[in-house]
Amino acid sequence: MNRGLPILVVEDNDEDFDMLQMTFQGVSIPNPLYRCTEGEEALEFLHQTGRYADPEQAPRPGLILLDLNLAGLDGRQVLEHLKNEPQLKSIPVLVFSTSDNPKDVQSAYAHGASGYLLKPVDLPRFERMIQLFKDFWLEHIVLPAGEAREGARR
Amino acid sequence: MQTDGARPGQVVDLTNCDKEPIHIPGGIQPHGVLLVLQEPALTIRQVSENAEALLGVSAPSLLGTPLESLLTEPQSASIRACLLSERLEENNPLELTTRAGGRERFFNGIAHRHQGRLILELEPTSGQEALPFFGFYHQARRSMSRLRNAKDLSALCLEAVREVRRLTGFDRVIAYRFDEEWNGAVLAEDRLETIDSYLGLWFPASDIPRQARELYTLNWLRIIPAVDYVPARILSLPEDAGQGPLDMSFCVLRSVSPIHLEYLRNMGAPASMSISLLKEGRLWGLISCTHVSGARYVPYEVRKACEFVGEFMSSLLVTKEGHEHYDQRIRAQSIQVRLLERMTRHPDFAVGLTQPPPELLELTGATGAAVYFNGRTTIIGQAPSDEQLQGLIDWLAAKPDPRELFCTACLSNHYPEAAEFKDVAAGLIAASMSRGRHNYVLWFRPEVVQTVAWGGNPNKPVDIDGDQPRLHPRKSFALWRETVRGKSLPWKDYEVEAARELRRSVIDIVLQRSEELLKLNMELERSNVELDSFAYAASHDLKEPLRGIHNYTSLVVREQADSLSPTNLKRMDTVVRLTQRMESLINSLLHYAQVGRTELSLRETDLNEVLSSVLEVLKPRMDEFLVEVRVPRPLPPALCDRVRMAEVFTNLLTNAIKYNDKEKKWVEIGAMGTPDGGTTYYVRDNGIGIKPEYHDTIFRIFKRLHGRDKYGGGTGTGLTIVKRLIERHNGRLWLESQPGAGTTFFFTLGSEKAEPVTEVEAK
Repeated sequence: MNRGLPILVVEDNDEDFDMLQMTFQGVSIPNPLYRCTEGEEALEFLHQTGRYADPEQAPRPGLILLDLNLAGLDGRQVLEHLKNEPQLKSIPVLVFSTSDNPKDVQSAYAHGASGYLLKPVDLPRFERMIQLFKDFWLEHIVLPAGEAREGARR
Repeated sequence: MQTDGARPGQVVDLTNCDKEPIHIPGGIQPHGVLLVLQEPALTIRQVSENAEALLGVSAPSLLGTPLESLLTEPQSASIRACLLSERLEENNPLELTTRAGGRERFFNGIAHRHQGRLILELEPTSGQEALPFFGFYHQARRSMSRLRNAKDLSALCLEAVREVRRLTGFDRVIAYRFDEEWNGAVLAEDRLETIDSYLGLWFPASDIPRQARELYTLNWLRIIPAVDYVPARILSLPEDAGQGPLDMSFCVLRSVSPIHLEYLRNMGAPASMSISLLKEGRLWGLISCTHVSGARYVPYEVRKACEFVGEFMSSLLVTKEGHEHYDQRIRAQSIQVRLLERMTRHPDFAVGLTQPPPELLELTGATGAAVYFNGRTTIIGQAPSDEQLQGLIDWLAAKPDPRELFCTACLSNHYPEAAEFKDVAAGLIAASMSRGRHNYVLWFRPEVVQTVAWGGNPNKPVDIDGDQPRLHPRKSFALWRETVRGKSLPWKDYEVEAARELRRSVIDIVLQRSEELLKLNMELERSNVELDSFAYAASHDLKEPLRGIHNYTSLVVREQADSLSPTNLKRMDTVVRLTQRMESLINSLLHYAQVGRTELSLRETDLNEVLSSVLEVLKPRMDEFLVEVRVPRPLPPALCDRVRMAEVFTNLLTNAIKYNDKEKKWVEIGAMGTPDGGTTYYVRDNGIGIKPEYHDTIFRIFKRLHGRDKYGGGTGTGLTIVKRLIERHNGRLWLESQPGAGTTFFFTLGSEKAEPVTEVEAK
């Protein structure tokens, strides 16, 4: 259903991204995957500025997986920024974090996150979570239409 | 022609004695002449009727004529210039010569303006005999150095009366000081040796009525050269009749009240003079001169010298009075320092104040004291009963003008109920220690039957003359001893000051304490924020590498299982298991940190509901382990945090289930009353028990008594968290156990008498 949509992962930890990428392959997620390691970089990607001035290099993502703990501009601020941007605010953001601090969860939803996923220290659970993510967000959820087509064109 | 009408012999009853308008007597003492002049022509508008006797010109003929008509030609111009000047008083006395009636007469003219009128008073002088300037200067210098060198107040008074007597030649000169009720006590005297001493006598307040005291504050000096004078009335032009009587507040010739004259006659004093003593603008006392051997006139220059003595003495009063009780003041200060030091060191400063007891009493020379703070009373020495004290405190609190310090030597005058405990507290100093709340330090003194030496019976100033009550000044000035009851010894200035000083310091300490608390709170807030970031670091920064290790190891195990030796495969499995254990330890640590940080939501809670919800969650495990749950009686309600109490029960019940090897397992939850009216809760099991040597260590974080995987494993934080939760409720957790037979955990919830939560955290 949302197979062609690019997915942006904002994640500073290489091992975590490595596992994510492997598991995406493991559960056969066909979507193109983009990665930013810093908050600033993520905003440049989304605005297609700076390092990402070339639109080919930075397509508009259909979904964002956002880590909270980032060097520099952290995940909370990135979320706030893009939910304040009229052109970007309709992109669903899933927070993908280690922190189960109720304050973090609360503020993520308050700032417009569409979901909050905890990174487990348990490989099988992690794999199950990615499988469910695929089934739910990529197979069943209807994402905003305009952007979906736009993404599909690329 | 009108007269204001002097009223010699007028009946003055009690109702108008304090209201007699002594500033507008309508007449003057006849040893001088008073003129009211109209500027700028200096026309005489009013004149005293004795003009003819002193000037040789009849008073009526003077009205309407210019002043110059009286004066000799050469002076006219200079006198006119002096009188019309803005600051005419600086030119006093004007030396005037008149030539009316064909002979030269010499006068000292004393001029002043009051209420738009120019008033000139003429006092005859016997010639050009005025004290030369150098005479005055030397007199003044001598007086000044004597007064300044006086070592204390009584020496100052003595020097002053000697100076004044030397200057004036009066038979008796006394200095006296007013008390709070305007009774005067004679502090020093210089007199003719043949007359009785007044030293140490008291004069009742009624001797000098209120309006006289007011005039004494305005003028430095009054003189009555001869008490048996007939007042000279003031005559004025008929067209000025509507102007009202002349205000003579600042006139030296002002005729005095007939009552006062009678008083002087009764005293046997044909002449008198008094000099005001002011301390910080307020009438403090008088230097009073009387003459027994006849009339006595004091010339202007000498009066000025006396005024100077009074004024200079007044300026010294603050310092000399300060030296009055120098040693006692120093002692009070050192007590104060010790009390303060003890108060600051002691967390409860009421205790700091009252231990050891004599110091607080010595501070004010009291025989008893009560410190009433936040509803708690600490008593030292002799004090009224608790009930009487409560009444007194209620009365103080309800006073319409709550002053910082209330001080009296006769409490029953203000608070009649005090009569019943006058044997311990006839005198009181009450220092209010806080605004709004009624906190006090009270000092008491018992009744002392005192003897006061009055100059005559002070209680009989009124005689009945016919059927009219007539205010007769006392006739007897002989020593009259009075016994005073219901009064304590008076509180000395320095004693009251010591109380005031203590009050100030206590308030400072209270303020300082609240500032300290504020600082502590801020630090606490900061450390909470730090704890937050620690918690975050623990959850994220520690877990992140852990997750990497876990995931990669898991992948290796999964994908390379075939190529690993069985030993290495087992080791890799162990790495995976250890990472998971480490994660649960981190989670427990995080949870423990949160327990201390999260605010409790204290509510009246039905613990039975809390318990049944916990039991519902635990039911599958209860069933699995075949545990019987016993709740013999419903639990009483408690003030607690519902969620936290559920956690307490969960942990205790989980332990009870886990550490049990009996075939028939049971756990009992109950509560019992304590002697002090509180409640103790317990969770009892028939499990494996805990050896006494472990009763403390089981509460240490991560401490386990058994192998990691025995009894279902765990991180070893359960009891630590329970203990912290109970302590957050200001309760206590302890246990009794018989190894092999079972364990009972007891706890109390002290939230009702809880100190603020922040204070618990600060520990």
